[in-house]
Order: sequence, then structure tokens, then C-alpha cells
Amino acid sequence: MNIPLRQWLDRLFTSLAMLSVLLIVAAMIGILLPMVWRGGSAVVFRGTVEFRRMQLEQFNRGDSAAVRAEAEDAARIRQHAYEILDRFAAGLDTSELETKVKQLHREFGVQLANREIPQKQLSELRSVSKELRDELLKAFEAEDKTQVLEHLDAVMSHSGDERLKGTVAAEFFDLARQYRDTVANVDLRRRSEYADSLKQVKDAMRSLFGPRPGERLPALPIEQYGSTRWDQAKQNLDKLLWAESWTGSGEGQTLTKSRIPREEQFAGTALAGLFPYVRDNIQGMLRPKWTFYWQYFTDDSMSGHYFGGVGPEILGTLLITMFAIAFSLPVGVVTAAYLVECAGDGWLTRILRMCVNTLAGVPSIVFGLFGLAFFVIYLQPKLGLPGSSSIIAGSLTLGLLVLPVIIRASEEAIRTVPQAYKEASLALGASRFRCFMSVTLPVATPGILTGLILSMSRAAGETAPILFTAAVAMGPIPTSLSQPTRTLSYSSYDMAVGDKMAMLAPHNQFGMVMTLVAIVLLLNIAAIVVRGRMSKKLRGQ
Amino acid sequence: MAKDGSQGMSALLEPIALANRSTITLAEDIRADNETLSPVRHNDVMPAIIRAEKFCLYYGVKAGVKDINMDIFPQSVTAIIGPSGCGKSTFLRSINRMNDLIPNVRSEGTLYVNGVNVYDGRINLVNLRQQVGMVFQKPNPFPKSIYDNVAYGPRLQGIRGGRLDDMVETCLKDAAIWEEVKDLLGKSALALSGGQQQRLCIARALATRPKVLLMDEPCSALDPIATSKIEELIVGLKNAYTIVIVTHNMQQAARISDCTAFFCMGELIEYDATNIIFTKPSRKQTEDYVTGRFS
Repeated sequence: MNIPLRQWLDRLFTSLAMLSVLLIVAAMIGILLPMVWRGGSAVVFRGTVEFRRMQLEQFNRGDSAAVRAEAEDAARIRQHAYEILDRFAAGLDTSELETKVKQLHREFGVQLANREIPQKQLSELRSVSKELRDELLKAFEAEDKTQVLEHLDAVMSHSGDERLKGTVAAEFFDLARQYRDTVANVDLRRRSEYADSLKQVKDAMRSLFGPRPGERLPALPIEQYGSTRWDQAKQNLDKLLWAESWTGSGEGQTLTKSRIPREEQFAGTALAGLFPYVRDNIQGMLRPKWTFYWQYFTDDSMSGHYFGGVGPEILGTLLITMFAIAFSLPVGVVTAAYLVECAGDGWLTRILRMCVNTLAGVPSIVFGLFGLAFFVIYLQPKLGLPGSSSIIAGSLTLGLLVLPVIIRASEEAIRTVPQAYKEASLALGASRFRCFMSVTLPVATPGILTGLILSMSRAAGETAPILFTAAVAMGPIPTSLSQPTRTLSYSSYDMAVGDKMAMLAPHNQFGMVMTLVAIVLLLNIAAIVVRGRMSKKLRGQ
Repeated sequence: MAKDGSQGMSALLEPIALANRSTITLAEDIRADNETLSPVRHNDVMPAIIRAEKFCLYYGVKAGVKDINMDIFPQSVTAIIGPSGCGKSTFLRSINRMNDLIPNVRSEGTLYVNGVNVYDGRINLVNLRQQVGMVFQKPNPFPKSIYDNVAYGPRLQGIRGGRLDDMVETCLKDAAIWEEVKDLLGKSALALSGGQQQRLCIARALATRPKVLLMDEPCSALDPIATSKIEELIVGLKNAYTIVIVTHNMQQAARISDCTAFFCMGELIEYDATNIIFTKPSRKQTEDYVTGRFS
């Protein structure tokens, strides 16, 4: 080969290698950055007054007086929105008015009975009241505007009646006047449409601001607060300001989504004023502030990860990983030492090696089912423990899963210890055991640690083996090893498949995944630092 | 019972020593044995510390060394020379049975160290190797501190505390490296230079208080200055230890050894006092080799 060609090939391979490195880096950035970005929003975000209220009430955190004052300020601004809503709802929903009218009629009857008036006048007044009541009820029920106005006019024609002045019956005329105002603004034929949309508006208001002041507090914390996060608030605000509908152009056609501003939808009604008001005053109603919620990593979660943090999950992940390693590291190293130093190369050893290799390739769910069948169902009752998932069963299952990795790495590390060290040790009169313990094992430790790093990452991230053996989605923080625990991997899986929580609190899902990755990275970094120190010491630096 | 008076060894290897009929052979007897080559013809009472009788060692079916009959005498430096692959190292490593580490090794004949056949099945390898120290071709200090390197052997024997400190110091002094490392005892041995590492390895081997020190080309990885230091050291150690050294460097053999054995093709060709081997060897092969005409 001539030299230019060689140089050219050299450059080609160099650039190919560079390209692959760049691809890996790009993939890492492409995966990790968005995850950290979105996961980070579980910790750093713009928290609203609702968030601070939740923190105060649920976790007893923050300045009580300041938060209450802030909540009151916000409530004052919100109040107007509620008033608009009520005024509109009153016109739309006449059932309240109807009951009120009927009540007025009864009260009037009682009032009359207590007065000393002649029997004839009494029955006359009664019939007038009855007529007024019926006319009003008809007006409330009528859908046609002219009909409504006719009935209302019929009511108002009695307004000059001297006998009714100063009695309860005078309120009939107030109601009639109010209703005339309402009807002037509302298209009564669109009443059902408004009713649907109004429900959506009410829901959106509720998810923005929580339950109305004075309303009975719901039992679940998830329903006790409005939007705790500004990003969440913006989504809910969008739902408030825009009506979404799916419309089809014809039979068999695909549906298309259309968005109309609710302001337009409710144009000409009393409600139309609500939307610009909320839009313009949303900052005052929710008071978003940048929040650094570091307690995310220590807080218990509430209502299935809607609020709170991932403290128990982190604890569970660490516990399960540590116990898995504590089980599989000694076993793995001893096995590796046997395979390298003692076993030789017989057929039995070859079968053993093949088994280890095969074990490394077994799908993790198989380990999970084995753990369920053996540790949970068979072994635990024998040991007097409940036959349900537990940390110890999960750890042992995970330990089995990572055992082949540890064995292979340790085997390799022990095999590559220079023969010169072993010879020197044996020539000084060390027994094989002493030689292994005092020379081979220390020199092999960095290599064994590499295997440990790999298996720790795997153990921390695995879901399938602990699915049936150790993990629960919700539950108390374990106090003993025979109790199940929450883990990051399982909880993020559960959030994704179990309910709509992942959609309601996406930041939590991302936060969980980010925490898991961070834990694995931290464990790795710790092990790498230890390994680096050791090999530095071994190299004599 | 052993007659050589090496109580330490015989105490350690009591049962085996008892098992041997005649463990010590006088030089007179060795010559009478006719097969055994012995360079010490003038001193009939000096007992051999290592004695090979028809010793063969096979790697599988291939012979590493065959039919070696050789006496090595205490308080002397015995050099083993010969072309590559002639079995020098194999023979050396047979003395403390380091060849056992290689699979499929098989031996024939007998090899006595201090009157004990080391290929007896009942031999205690740990004791043997403490009696027969070894220094390897490439300096191979453990990746531990200098102190721990030297203390490794004594610790195996259960020596601890102040006595250990004294021993480490004595051995480092004996290996002529104390002055250089006395302030660095806690430092890693790997930070030393090649020559220092090799002297440290010698100190480490001395720390088990061996009778015999086997050296497998101890200077081949070192520069001339380091080599001359090691050579001085070897000559100095001769008074207290029996040294067997394998070397490719014939000048080195001539400079430091009392007796020289020439190996070729796994056989012991000639074994005599060093000045005889290098001036008037009795075999043509030896003469060719020492004069550089060997092909």
C-alpha cells in the first residue's frame, strides 16, 4: 500500500471514530438534557400561593401568617370572578329561583295568617300571591324570550298593589326585575349548551383556584388545592379561556379539533366579563414565585404522587440496591476466586462457566417470577415471615440478577492479576489462601469494583425483579426488612401505567426518573472515585 | 536423622528427614557416586546444601531438565549459565518447587535441600519456600508500601510489632537499600527505581531468613549501575546465604560466582569452579559457549 492511501485510510478511520464518539455524546445529551430539564422542574419551578398553602397545611412549612395574608389577598381578587360566575349561573340555572319563589309564597301565607285582616281580603291576597308565584314559575320555565317577558309583565302589573307593600310578597317584584335583566342578556334557547360549557368553566376555575371559599373541604388533599405550579396554572387557564370541541364534517369523516375562545362562546352574556378578568388578574390570583423545592428529595408523596416528593422512593431504592450488593458481592467474588484459582479447567468448570453466562442473559422478569415463587411464597413462610413482598426478598432477587455480572467482572479482575505477584507471594512461603487474600484480592479490587458499579446501576434501575417481590406503589415507609417498599423505578412505572397521575403531574414522573438517574450516577461516581484511589495506590502514586 | 546440623530445617521437616536414609553426602561420597558432578574436590568435608540426583522435570511430555546430578555448596555463589531454553530457570525453580504452578508438571529423581527430598509428597511447601528464597527476573515488589513488602514474609510466620520493625530494618540494610528508603518506608514500593525495586525484592526474600537464595536473572532488567550494586550485594550476602544465580551475562558469572554450571538442552554439561569453567573447561560445548562461538 502506498503512503498517501494509508494516510487517507488513517484519516478515514480517525474521522469515523470521532463521528461515533460524537454520536454517543449527542445521544447522551439528547436523552439526558431534556430529562434533567423536565425533571428539574419538579424541584425548581414557579410555585403559586396554592403551593405555599399546601406546604403550610400538609407539611407545616413556611411562614404561617405571611401565607395566610397572601391567600387572603388572592381570594379578594378571585372573589370578583366568582361573583360574575354566580350572576350568570343564576340566570341559567332557575331551579334555585323556583324554590325561592315557592318559599316566598309560603312565607307570605304565614305572614298573612298572623295579621288581623278580614277573611275575604285574606283569600284575595292569597290568590294574588298564588298567581304571582305561578306567573314567575312559568317565566322561569319558558324558553322563548317574549313569553318570558309576557309572564314577567303579568307579575309586574301587580307591583302597584298597595296591599302588598311592605310584605314578603314585594320580593316577587325584585325577582321579576332581576330575571328580566338576566333574560335581556342571555339567549335562553342556548341554555343547555351554556350549561355544559359552564360546567367546564366551573371545573377549570376549580382546578385553578381550588374549592371556593366557604365550600366544604374535600377529603382528598389532591382536591383541596388549586394549581400549585405556574405551568399547571397556565394549562388550566387555557382550559378556562378556550373551549375545545371535536367536530365532524360528515359521516365517516375524521373529527377535527376546534378551539374557540370562551369569551366568544359566551358573548353577550354576563359571563363574558369573567374571561378577560381572570386573564388579566391571574398573576394576582395565584401569585407565582420561583420556588426551590429541595424537600422534593425527602418529602413523602401524597395522593399518589400528586403532591410531595420522592423521599421514601429514594430510601427504598438505596436499601434494595445496597442489600442486593451486600448479598451478591461476597458470593460473586468467592465464586470468581474459585473459578480462577481452584477450579482448573475440567468439564464441570466449563458447565459452571456456561451457567454463569446463561444466567447473565436471563430476562429480568424471569428473575422476578422466580423471586416471587421461591423467596416470597416458599422461603418467607418457612422463616416465619409473611408470604408477601418484602425488601429482603427483592434484594435477594436483585442480588441473583446481578450475580453473573459480578462473577464475570471479578473473574476477569482476578485472572489479570500479574502472575509475578502471585509467584512472589508463594515464593515467600504464603499458602494459596494467604496469597489470594493478601496479594491477589487487593490487586484485583479495582476490577471487581468495575463489576460492582455495573451491577449497582442495574440493581437500582431494575423494575421487573422487584415487581412481585419488593415494590409497592403506595404505602408506609418500611420499618423492617420484611416489609415492602416504594422504589423509584417501580413508582415511575406505576405512575406511567397505573393511573392518570403521570398526565396530571408530569413533573413528578420526570423528577422521579431524574432522581433515579442521579442516584445511579452518584453511586457510579463514588465507586469510580474509590476505584481511582485504589489503583493510584496500587500504581504507587 | 539429619547429620548436617541445620536444626531449623530438620525441625520443620522432621517427618521427611526421618524418612530419608542418607540425607547428607560428603563430598568424598559424591565423587565416589561418579555421576554427580562436584566442583569442590579440595574440601572433602563440606556438605552439599542442595543435591540433585537423576533429577528430571517434564512439562507434559517435554523434558524441561533431564538427568541432573549436581551438588551445590553452602556459603557460596553458584552460577548457572547456558543458552536460552536450556533449562536453567526450570532447574532453579525446581529447587523451591515454583514449577508446581504450571499445570501438567511431573518430576523424576530426587532433589535434596538440606538433606530433605523436596519432591517427597509429604513436604510442606510453605516451610520449603521460607527456607529457599527466590528473586525473580523482573523486579516484582507487591503494590504495597516498602515496609509491607519486606514485612510480608515475617508476617506470614506470625512475627509482629517491634521485632518486625527490627527485622525489616535489618533486611533492608542487608540488601544495601536501607539508606535510600529509610524515610520512605510508608511509600509504595512501585515508586522506586528498577534497581531499588530489585534490591527491595532481595530484602523481602531475606526477611524469611532463608538458607538458600535463588536468583533468576536478577539483573537482566536493570541498567549497568543497578547491576553492579546488585552484584556487590550478592557477593556480600555470600557469607550468610547459599546463592544460586541464573544468568545470561557470563562476565557477571565470572565476577561473582564461586562455581559455575553450564546447562544445554536441559542437561548439565559441565559443573566446576568458576575459574576452571572460564579458563580451561573440559568439554568442547562449554568452551564454545563461554568463548562466544556457540551457535
